Amino acid sequence: MSVSQGELSKQTSIEFSEQTRDRAREIIARYPAGRERSALLPLLHLVQAEYGHVSPAGIEFCAELLGLTRAQVAGVASFYTMFKRRPAGDWLVSVCTNTMCGVLGGDRTFETLREHLGVGHDETTPDGTITLEHAECLAACDYAPVLTVNYEFFDRVQAEQAVEIVDQLQEGKRPVPDRGARLCPLPELSLQLAGFADPRPEGIADGPAGEPTLAGARLAQRHGIAVAGFDPETPIKPKEEDSR
Amino acid sequence: MTALDTPTDEVTLTIDGVEVTAPKGALIIRVAEKLGIEIPRFCDHPLLAPVGACRQCLVDVEGQRKPITSCTTPIADGMVVRTHLTSEVARKAQQGIMEFLLINHPLDCPVCDKGGECPLQNQAMSTGAAESRFQDVKRTYPKPINLSTQVLLDRERCVQCARCTRFSEEIAGDPFIELMDRTSDEQVNVYREEMFGGEPGPAGSHSDLGSEPLRSYFSGNTIQICPVGALTSAQYRFRSRPFDLVSTPSVCEHCAAGCAQRTDHRRGKVMRRLAGDDPAVNEEWDCDKGRFGFRYVTAFDRITEPMVRDPQTGALRAAAWSEALAVAAEGLRRARDSSGGVGVLTGGRLTVEDAYAYSKFARIALRTNDVDFRARPLSTEEADFLAAAVAGRQGPTYAEVEQASAVVLAGLEPEEECPILFLRMRKAYRKRALAVHALAPFRTTGYEKLGATVLPCAPGSEATLLAGDASLAAALSQPGAVLVVGERLGGAPGGLSAAVALAERTGARLAWVPRRAGERGALEAGCLPHLLPGGRPVTEPRARAELAGAWGLEAGVLDSRPGRDTGAILAAATAGDLGALVVAGVDPADLSDARAAEQALDAVPFLVSLELRNSAVARRADVVLPVAPTVEKAGSFLTWEGRLRPFEAVLATGAMTDARILDALASQLGVQLNTRDVPAVRAELAALPATDSPRHPPPQVAPAPPPVPADGQAVLATWHQLVDLGTLQDGDDELAGTARPSVVRLGKELATRLGVGDGDPVTVGTGTGALTLPVEVVDMVDAVVWLPTNSPGATVRRSLGAAAGALVSVSVSVSVPVSASVFVSVSPGGSR
Repeated sequence: MSVSQGELSKQTSIEFSEQTRDRAREIIARYPAGRERSALLPLLHLVQAEYGHVSPAGIEFCAELLGLTRAQVAGVASFYTMFKRRPAGDWLVSVCTNTMCGVLGGDRTFETLREHLGVGHDETTPDGTITLEHAECLAACDYAPVLTVNYEFFDRVQAEQAVEIVDQLQEGKRPVPDRGARLCPLPELSLQLAGFADPRPEGIADGPAGEPTLAGARLAQRHGIAVAGFDPETPIKPKEEDSR
Repeated sequence: MTALDTPTDEVTLTIDGVEVTAPKGALIIRVAEKLGIEIPRFCDHPLLAPVGACRQCLVDVEGQRKPITSCTTPIADGMVVRTHLTSEVARKAQQGIMEFLLINHPLDCPVCDKGGECPLQNQAMSTGAAESRFQDVKRTYPKPINLSTQVLLDRERCVQCARCTRFSEEIAGDPFIELMDRTSDEQVNVYREEMFGGEPGPAGSHSDLGSEPLRSYFSGNTIQICPVGALTSAQYRFRSRPFDLVSTPSVCEHCAAGCAQRTDHRRGKVMRRLAGDDPAVNEEWDCDKGRFGFRYVTAFDRITEPMVRDPQTGALRAAAWSEALAVAAEGLRRARDSSGGVGVLTGGRLTVEDAYAYSKFARIALRTNDVDFRARPLSTEEADFLAAAVAGRQGPTYAEVEQASAVVLAGLEPEEECPILFLRMRKAYRKRALAVHALAPFRTTGYEKLGATVLPCAPGSEATLLAGDASLAAALSQPGAVLVVGERLGGAPGGLSAAVALAERTGARLAWVPRRAGERGALEAGCLPHLLPGGRPVTEPRARAELAGAWGLEAGVLDSRPGRDTGAILAAATAGDLGALVVAGVDPADLSDARAAEQALDAVPFLVSLELRNSAVARRADVVLPVAPTVEKAGSFLTWEGRLRPFEAVLATGAMTDARILDALASQLGVQLNTRDVPAVRAELAALPATDSPRHPPPQVAPAPPPVPADGQAVLATWHQLVDLGTLQDGDDELAGTARPSVVRLGKELATRLGVGDGDPVTVGTGTGALTLPVEVVDMVDAVVWLPTNSPGATVRRSLGAAAGALVSVSVSVSVPVSASVFVSVSPGGSR
């Protein structure tokens, strides 16, 4: 379905703040004309930022702005677990229960938190502070077992530390992640994920790779192990232009 | 080596040890098919883009670490492919995939509609292992759910091949079903708010259909291409088993698209219809009206025996054929020999053979040229246009439209009025960015799906635009451009004249697309007051002589004076200047003024109705003769292209064709018609000599100044929605449930003047009556108001007695709930 240019000015039937509408226009303008539907993922983060989850109103908002059907938006929104379909807490606690983290303590951590918080997977505590989930691989086996709070890492976390972290969160404190940026509540984070950077200087943090990450590389170096015939300067071939 | 030669854009590869040369870019699965190697598959469909969703078609390719999907992999030079036939790796991979696909499949083939014709069932037998290693509990769902009133989904049977969702987006342009959720919860569904925390509606309520309706005229195709039993038809569910059905090739009787179909019947009853595979016409698709609209034949009011009006009681009573034919012949003889004569209205739904019989019957047995097939708004200009520019001409074809450099649409909304042409144009738009221009009062969803450039055009202004718009002329001047005019352009004074002139000036090909299946055939058969069969003008001595020769007539039998058209015939009847009328499939509610037409039918002294069901004409007739519906007779339709679509009877019943009845009637009048059986008519049509009489000259009607609406008035724009109150859709409730809602559409300026917004009730009226419907504000030419012609609550012809281009009053309805405000009752008869 094509997007007609008039859509942006169209009054949607849903009440979203004028600021959100302005931001939506800004997001859509980042993409080439005719490819507006690429803006769907950031737009979904944007509506999640306003309502704490992707609500039916948010689906309709995205659909109207992008000239998509609501079914198309829902197909995307229900595929990615980062989009919450029910009101979520300010703090999303994700415990990795994949193989590495699971055997190193992740499974026990998840069970402990479940008992401690009294909620199961993808459920939110009655006070609305914490949403618990067991996560698929969080890409941090080198720091296993890990959990994340609003996608920031707490490394080598066992059940007892995890309880401490959620207790602090419920008390209104902000524990400091082991790597990355400082914590901010889920709506604020969603706005960042929509492509509006955190203005705080410490909002975005980056650093050199940690020692556990480099351990393998150092071992390989020490023992002279390398991929046969691999040239690090191999140019990356551009993908063939998509056909219409 | 299998192929004959190797041009540069071909590659040579080996499949199962056979060297084959094929065009570069072809997919392995397609090339294997050509060698007769059938690789199992579910998601692959030749008319859909490759996706590799089901993984069933894995093959072993030399040099690849793992088996690859043959439905997504293009061939390469020197490629060595081994399928399951020669490779243990491929065989085992396919068997493994099948085992995965069946993990959550219920294996409920004995109670599944698809059992017996199911690719999953068949390929599980050919490719799968006899036993599964899966020990756990299968995932189950409540079953079935409605995707629409006519498409049902049993989610646990689905293998997530995405054929249905891809069809909806790519082919139909209606992406209202999508794969929702992920991993083992992944399922096809419409959008439902409860998936996002919304309140679910009560079970059994309308909200079962979801929060965003599957609004598509093509959704039935998803049922047909579903390779498992996940999508089933509400109309057909649990009604038959495939192996109990008798399948007969057939041709759709609904519109001028001429789709090939397969009609499946059991014990003399049609159970379902499927799209036939005809690459030249409908490819493998069908619209929902053609697929589901066939229950009118078995409606309660089907006429099964002849009836005559009893002189004593004044009521119709059953009669023997001999009596009914005698009474009809006597009445027609008297009228013919009186000063008024007999008029013949044939309607637009006859086969070529039947239309020819009417044409011949009128000319020889009734000695009149008062015959007209047009049961809709019409004009003399249109008749001249048809005679000059359409009759006897071939093409352009579907393929030529698909390959066109540009297509201009005037008086035609193809999605509503010729859905298969719409699909072909959409294919061209998607594959090669076909430039489509449309003259229309607003941009419909159909035009949107064609990426059409809409030239805003109030009804009645088409001629001016066709004559003067530079962009149209430029588009049509490219070689291979096509100007497609719908039958509605005939309602715009000067429109068809301008279209002929424009086509001539630019060199573009000209196509005329009527709405009904029988219109083009009736035109060729000479069911027009000034045209004999084969496009022969009645006024041309040579034309009459050719036909008199073919029919074995003496000179002078064929009248040289043009007859009266539908409007004039009915006017003569009302005025008492007509002795009798013979009416075939005509519904007065289709004529521009339905009430006036009914008055004419009441006024005519003698009325013979050849009818299928107890219609508004049959109820008024002096003699009613029951005719065979399409499914019970052989015949042919002509598509809008002029392509002949012959078909044989699906069901053998005693019902007679119109042609056969007319033959009997003619012999009572002492005339040999020779239209007793279809082969005889076909032979006679084939033996008609090609005409070398001069063609009818094209019309040269100047554009009329468009009507100027006064304050509180607007110009009426209207056309039929595909799924509406048409009598050929009677009894198909599941189909009716997918109709687009009846709304009145108007532009922002008019909405502002009226002070209305979306959903507010607005009343559109004429001197005849008024209609009140919820409003939908669109980008519309100012002072134009659009209504569906014959939808629930919007029976324009009957309630307003008006056609497109008429001036109507527009006002706001206050404090009346919309549902109760349709004070003009909906005609139960509907129209054809």
